[in-house]
Amino acid sequence: MSSARNYDSNKGVSMALRPNTYPGKLLIVEGIDGSGKSTQLDLLHKWLVSEGYLVVFTRWNSSPIVRATTRRGKQRRLLTPVSFSLIHAADFASRLYMQVIPALQAGAVVLADRYVYTAFARDRVRGLDREWLRRLYAFAVEPTVAFYFDVPLDEAITRILEGRPSLKFYEAGMDLALSRIPSESFRLFQGLIQNEYDHLANEYNMVRIDATLQLIDQQRLVRQIVGPYLEGAIRLEKAEIQDALMAHRLGGRYLEDMRLRQRSPK
Amino acid sequence: MSAPRFYGIRPPGIPNEPLPGRLIVIEGTDGVGRSTQIALLREWLESRGYAVVHTGFRRSDLASQGIQRAKRGHTLDPLTLSLFYATDFWDRLERHILPALRAGMIAMVDRYIFSLVARAILRGVPRDWLEDVYGIALVPDRVFYLDISVEQLLPRIINTTGLDYWESGQDYLRGPDLYNNYIEYQRALLAEYRSLAEEFGFQVIDGGQPIGTVFNALQAGVEEVIAGMTPPKRDEAKLNPEDSPGVEDSARIDLA
Repeated sequence: MSSARNYDSNKGVSMALRPNTYPGKLLIVEGIDGSGKSTQLDLLHKWLVSEGYLVVFTRWNSSPIVRATTRRGKQRRLLTPVSFSLIHAADFASRLYMQVIPALQAGAVVLADRYVYTAFARDRVRGLDREWLRRLYAFAVEPTVAFYFDVPLDEAITRILEGRPSLKFYEAGMDLALSRIPSESFRLFQGLIQNEYDHLANEYNMVRIDATLQLIDQQRLVRQIVGPYLEGAIRLEKAEIQDALMAHRLGGRYLEDMRLRQRSPK
Repeated sequence: MSAPRFYGIRPPGIPNEPLPGRLIVIEGTDGVGRSTQIALLREWLESRGYAVVHTGFRRSDLASQGIQRAKRGHTLDPLTLSLFYATDFWDRLERHILPALRAGMIAMVDRYIFSLVARAILRGVPRDWLEDVYGIALVPDRVFYLDISVEQLLPRIINTTGLDYWESGQDYLRGPDLYNNYIEYQRALLAEYRSLAEEFGFQVIDGGQPIGTVFNALQAGVEEVIAGMTPPKRDEAKLNPEDSPGVEDSARIDLA
């Protein structure tokens, strides 16, 4: 701590993540708000399930044991650049150890909506040191494929602002005091993040997808790219439940209820 | 007064200007007498006119509740717990400690980053990673470490709080025997503290001595740290109109 390490923000060293030594595959999507990444991941999810893969999905900032603290910090505007960074890292660690790694060990395909690159981009914009961020997330497993959905800033902004009456404080980057007008702050903030993503996409060899293409064309590309990497991931036996339902001409609505209850957090 | 020093990098949002206050840290395992000594030190310093701010683990507005909730469950991995505590630490550094130091006060901190580092190392978190993450910590003016042997610690703990789940390493040690786990855990923890004491130049005080003896040793050390500070004379500080314009007026309004 004292003398050993030399931090230099301008070195531009790329620090590799921990290689994925598990049988499972880790597919992640990144991009600014409004890039359509979540939609594409959702389509990919449905396809993988229909192909019989064991699929586990995880979303940024959703750990059952950390999320409440992040929410508290956001609601009360307690978060500063460093605490914002640390609490999101806690959330990430919790999901990595509880969801992601066990699933990879079991041979599942893990889909992550946002990964460490979100922190690298956002926290850097909030003024944290590049190398410190990379060391902070050094425990993260390297994705099998990382997609970056590249979209012109104006288009992404339009997509977001159309569907939303108001922007949240941190979402709009209001803590950075870029502008007093939330929509203007949001535009500036997203622009800065996009700039960081652009560097990260090169640094970490992310697969760029042109997010202005038709949804279906983007998805076709995504599946094409993912396909060859799926070898080794386990596939489930075709669900016998489906056969039983069909044989008795049942829809299975109580089963659906049961499944929903299992999925929703307590 | 010199510019603030950090173990690694200077984090964003912290101005690079001298801090007139003093940061004093007391480290040591549970039951060694930290709270007692801090209570004595605060009273002594305040009676001499120094303003003292006191903070310790899990007292941040941001993360204290979350940590408590998380520790009740059974799905907490050591890295998440470390980052949770790091968040708590940072929130207190930014909101309690730094403002106090800027205002020329003494920040008396009941365990800083070192207890967190020691506990995490025992649970398998890499030392390098911990040192990187806590590179954002302000270097204290002095760290006092109250050392003790497990043999001296045991009767104290059994006589007061009893053996604690986390302080016995029950979350990661294999055996079901709380007593043996406590001894094994505290031995390892104390060894870790001692190695940190060497690495980071703590002032080591034998916490197994009588309370008065430990207090005298701490007083002597604190005297060195605060040498050169001018204790604000209380009455002057309160009534000096240049320092606090309008205070008397608003007080009058409140009374009316």
